[in-house]
Amino acid sequence: MKTLRLIYDVTLRELMILMRNRVYMFCMVVFPLLTMVFFTSLMDDGLPTSMPVGVVDLDNTSTSRSLVQRLDAFQMSKVVAHYPSVTEARRDIQENNIYAFLYIPKGTTENLMAGRQPKISFYYSYTTLASGALLMKDLKTISTLGSAAVGQATMRAKGYTDAQIQTFLQPIRIDLHQIANPWTSYNSYLSTMLVPGLIMLFIFLISAYSLGTELKFDTAKDWLAKADNRIVVATIGKFLPQTLIWLALVYCYEYYVFYVLHFPHLGSPWMLILLGLVQVLAAQGFGIFAFGLMPSLRMSMSVCSLWAVLSLSMVGSAFPVMGMDGALQALSWLFPLRHYYMLYQVSVFNGFPLLEAWFHFAALAAFILMPWLVIKKIKNAMLTYVYIP
Amino acid sequence: MSIYRNSFRRRIDDTFFIWREELKQVIKDEGVLIFFVIVPLIYPLLYSWIYNNETVHDVPVVVVDQSHTSLSRQFIRMCDASADVKVAYYAQDLDEAKSLVSRQLVKGIYLIPSDFESNVYRMQQGTISVYCDMSLMLTYKAIFQTAQLVSMQMGSELQTKLGGHYTSREEAIAARPLDYADVAIFNPQGGYGSFVLPGVLMLILQQTLVLGIGMSAGTARERNRYGQLIPISRPYQNVFRIVFGKSLCYFMIYALMGAWLVVVVPRMFHFPQLAAWQPLLTLMLPYTLACIFFGMVVSCIVRYRENVMLLMVFISVPLLFMTGVSWPQSNIPGFWQGASWVFPSTFGVRAYVRLNSMGASVGDVSTEILILWLHAFLYFWLACVVYGYQIYLARHDAFWRFVEMKKRRQK
Repeated sequence: MKTLRLIYDVTLRELMILMRNRVYMFCMVVFPLLTMVFFTSLMDDGLPTSMPVGVVDLDNTSTSRSLVQRLDAFQMSKVVAHYPSVTEARRDIQENNIYAFLYIPKGTTENLMAGRQPKISFYYSYTTLASGALLMKDLKTISTLGSAAVGQATMRAKGYTDAQIQTFLQPIRIDLHQIANPWTSYNSYLSTMLVPGLIMLFIFLISAYSLGTELKFDTAKDWLAKADNRIVVATIGKFLPQTLIWLALVYCYEYYVFYVLHFPHLGSPWMLILLGLVQVLAAQGFGIFAFGLMPSLRMSMSVCSLWAVLSLSMVGSAFPVMGMDGALQALSWLFPLRHYYMLYQVSVFNGFPLLEAWFHFAALAAFILMPWLVIKKIKNAMLTYVYIP
Repeated sequence: MSIYRNSFRRRIDDTFFIWREELKQVIKDEGVLIFFVIVPLIYPLLYSWIYNNETVHDVPVVVVDQSHTSLSRQFIRMCDASADVKVAYYAQDLDEAKSLVSRQLVKGIYLIPSDFESNVYRMQQGTISVYCDMSLMLTYKAIFQTAQLVSMQMGSELQTKLGGHYTSREEAIAARPLDYADVAIFNPQGGYGSFVLPGVLMLILQQTLVLGIGMSAGTARERNRYGQLIPISRPYQNVFRIVFGKSLCYFMIYALMGAWLVVVVPRMFHFPQLAAWQPLLTLMLPYTLACIFFGMVVSCIVRYRENVMLLMVFISVPLLFMTGVSWPQSNIPGFWQGASWVFPSTFGVRAYVRLNSMGASVGDVSTEILILWLHAFLYFWLACVVYGYQIYLARHDAFWRFVEMKKRRQK
């Protein structure tokens, strides 16, 4: 009973701090909401659409023009310019006006009619991977379709049925099933990693910050005194209100993306609740641990921010962990975001039971428990260290 | 008062004094050192290491072969032989295959139905179903594109058998009357590192500079007895001397760091490096200056040294997206486009990627370079204004402290 009373006192004290220092309001509410809005609105289309492409049509016949028109009709590409030569088209890519171009050499139609298999080319820049890959797909489809159209005409003239023509042109068909994200939406695939990653960054930083400022503003002894010098009570009391705010934020994010924006999720709502809970607690655990490891405000915050930024790469969502070197694959276990992402991927996105990702769950549990290792050191620091600017 | 007070010599002396003080502070402050030296040195290496394999190879897939024919086995063999896909398991049915996906052992399923071969030889399309785990775009691409490629290769072989043409040339033309070539330029292998790192390198430069300058300013405030950025001492009387002196210190450090980031690191890891040093210098000079003055403006907002971390670290990722490297620039909503103009990194990254990865000339990126000079100029004046205000504050406070003191004396 007395313990509860102490926790309550420390919590009240912490609430006062949270309200008085504007930094908390910005980092726990304003900035996280801003990143949420930023990423979901940036990739609102899901896939980039109407990306500017150019055409070098040296043939300039009705056939080549219809090819260009068809390219324009695709969702991803928009023909914005015609060039007299490849050199000029390439220059316009370098000037960032177009991302790709189609080159139709002179005599294409003539050769096509004569059955001499003319060759068209498309050039696309891979300096932006997303636009490069998507435009490549469009341009490839155009060329295949153009080819098929001509082949179809010849074969029909020879008296084949449509099914036969189809089979001849494409004997083996690939039937693609994109599990859980049939729209290939980049929004649902990037925002679900980046926003939680940045929320975790804030949790890391604020956890270390709120401990470090006790030293910095010389209130550490007061804090411990409020908890009767019991560091566990002091820590719980201090982080309880923060945990609640973070949970509110995380659940607000989950509600927004999964129920308002309808990002794909096959897991149950309970899984989302559990995911949010372990995300917040593991990140807090890491932040407290980082401070305990080096009880200096600036060092622990530096480590937290470097770790958080690095975890956005080590999470392996854009570039898979399995493509990294072996040592890095092992290191990826040290990043809470990695386990969060795997848990999300297995049990929310694909809707498999939690059992399939139990080791990632266990890893997050380990992060939650990490402050135990350093709690004594934190107490010692609070009682004896003096802040040096 | 001697002539020295406003003489040319005096200005130079003051500037150098401030430069020396700032340099001393940077070296003494481990927090600043981390951001000025350690991070720019280590981070690029770390990132390059993460992405040094560029693409994923041998993505594991599971095959459900219900056909058990030579044709289906050929498909499996050809997929396995490709660089991108590895057939890791065989499963009896789709459910078994799904459980392998759920355990993360494979990233996709190839399902070959029992009527596959008979369909093909009956002049009907044979269908192969491909199921992809969509949580990773790169593995999805590898699995899907391999299946597509193999099916096309096998398709053209079949066309040869089915077509009844006389020469192979005839067959080729019948199957594909219009030939095409796709040419990936500027990053031919589609490497992930070559695509993302140039942007990251330039961004590291801006972010570490702003963090370092902000921290150094925070320290200056904390060391100061009255929590002010500008100490009341003779050399710190003139805005221009302060701004010049401090920026000179940062510029010296970042001349080295910048060269390391944009010249040495890409070379070490064999990323595309098409620009010579002259165009790079043309870009880096305004970019570094713009970042320095931008950092100095930001640093004036910072009351405590740690707050700059809370402010600057999280926007790194949005900044990277706003440059148009991760997400095509043409698809960034207008509002965020506008917001991105505030930051030098937006134009610095764009210009660097085009110069270095795409082989553009300085003329091709002249707009970006011009904007960077404009940034440098505007942020320089803004820095002067905010530092002027800081001087005013310092004097103002000092005056009132003086008045207070006088009053107390008189009592």
